[in-house]
Amino acid sequence: MFRSLGMRGIWRTEKDPPKIRLIDALLATLLALSELLLQRKYCPLEVAADWSTQTASRKLWCEIPSVTIMAAVCRNTFPCWSRRLQTSLCINYNSLQRASSLAQTPGNQRGPQRGRRRRDDGPASPSRRPMVPRAARMAEDQDWPSVWPTAATFKPSAVPLPVRMGFPLNRGVQPDKIGNNELRKIPNFLHLTPVAVKRHCEVLKQFCTDWPAALETDESCEEHFPLEVITTDYVLSGPSLRHPEARIVTLKLKLSQLELDDHARKKLLKLVGDRYDKETDTLTITADGCPHRKQNYDYTQYLLTVLYLEAWKTEPWEASITPEDRDEFLWEGSPSEQNIVSTIKAIQEAEKGSSDVTQDEIVQNPDVQLYKQAVVNQKNQGEGSEQVQGYKDSVKRLLGLN
Amino acid sequence: MWFQVPISHCESKMAAPMARIPSCAELLRVLVSHRAPSRLLHATAACQKAQAGKYKISKDGNKPLTYEMANPPHFIGVRKSWNSWHTSNLWEQPGAADRTFEDMFVRKFLQGTFHNCLADEIIIKRRHNTVYVAILLLRKLDPQKYYFLLGYTETLLSHFLKCVVKLEVSVVPRKVVYKYI
Repeated sequence: MFRSLGMRGIWRTEKDPPKIRLIDALLATLLALSELLLQRKYCPLEVAADWSTQTASRKLWCEIPSVTIMAAVCRNTFPCWSRRLQTSLCINYNSLQRASSLAQTPGNQRGPQRGRRRRDDGPASPSRRPMVPRAARMAEDQDWPSVWPTAATFKPSAVPLPVRMGFPLNRGVQPDKIGNNELRKIPNFLHLTPVAVKRHCEVLKQFCTDWPAALETDESCEEHFPLEVITTDYVLSGPSLRHPEARIVTLKLKLSQLELDDHARKKLLKLVGDRYDKETDTLTITADGCPHRKQNYDYTQYLLTVLYLEAWKTEPWEASITPEDRDEFLWEGSPSEQNIVSTIKAIQEAEKGSSDVTQDEIVQNPDVQLYKQAVVNQKNQGEGSEQVQGYKDSVKRLLGLN
Repeated sequence: MWFQVPISHCESKMAAPMARIPSCAELLRVLVSHRAPSRLLHATAACQKAQAGKYKISKDGNKPLTYEMANPPHFIGVRKSWNSWHTSNLWEQPGAADRTFEDMFVRKFLQGTFHNCLADEIIIKRRHNTVYVAILLLRKLDPQKYYFLLGYTETLLSHFLKCVVKLEVSVVPRKVVYKYI
């Protein structure tokens, strides 16, 4: 503050300070400065700290309340700056701001005090004074989205917040916002305040339509749109928009949505191999061989069509299939069926003397159906304890041993 | 781990015939001298004396350092963040080498254009096909000259990089000193 008032210059050049009544000067200064401090809500400690680094020990000043500080300042430095008392009334916010920014520099302050001054320190008394920062002139009820409309690098003069960022030195504070490169590096969300987002949404609302009423649930969506095509768009920084991964097209489909009979379904599963997920009943076709997405999409469509049509075809050689060729056990026509039919017929013959029931009637018997299911489970799902228990129960029921 | 090849031992047997040839005698003299008594093979990695990015302490303790200078490179991601922000730096994304090359070009260009006027490192951020270059300027030139240089830089870099280049400028009266060493 005193530097900006030109006090240093007087201090150095004035050889013979003028005589003025001490008490008048003291009172005038006190009044002016205390009023100023109250109006500007300015922390007096920083003024004192700034000044005291030049002259006296710092800690001494920081403990004293504002009025006392000023009195002490007046008394100590009275002879040299009493002439400029009028100037002190004209201290503007600018100089106070500058003083505060100087006083708040973090870290060890020993540099300028010890040794010779380095060129990097900047000029000792800069002739140009900075303008009042924009942040200091901002009204409290201003429209922030119009101050910060889009994504931009942090600008300390436009953000009226006491933001700090950085690692504090020992016994220091974090670097403040002025000239803080760390704050400028990180992406900020100053353009995405709730007010701004709300306004964006309001503007975008006119382009939105209602969600279709028939597609309220996920199930209805799957029903009406069984085919799911997954592509990825990459937002990348660089001169080209193309991303090599963007070409990949994945097509997903629930197999139950396709119209397939048993033969066609089994043939389709044989054809697709591990692209079918048994748990979710989903067929997944991925195409990434072609350089463009459109080509890959067309290829997936072609693949699906061909798969479906091939599945429905029955080639002549398929008639020569044997039970060993099948992936799963079929009870119909198996030795198990023949055995149970002959066994039941033998039982009936033994009971009644003759048996006139046909094979179909035996097979349609619920007990036989239960037995069939137990055998199929055991053959297809493996011999677990559950399957064995089910087989045992069905046999006992069939033979009337319960 | 050092392997010591005891040349002095070999020399005791071999020196006699070799020493008769003048050039070999000179070589042997050097090898056997106190400065090179043995040849040392370094089989492990070099001693890790991390010195990169550290500044020498001045005698008077009055060398000013900015925050960027005060934190050596191993603090990137801890105390300070990256100077280049783009998606190619993300995991498994292509184009990192191209972006790095362009960034180095932009930095060299700006350091030459705004010589002695930059207060801190140049930050380069990319959003889509736009390059945002954030620089911190010192008040060393007239504003008119700065205006010209800013427009000149934006135009030239836009043509060089085939991207829209925008400069985001902040001005500080002097370099922001973090600490003195």
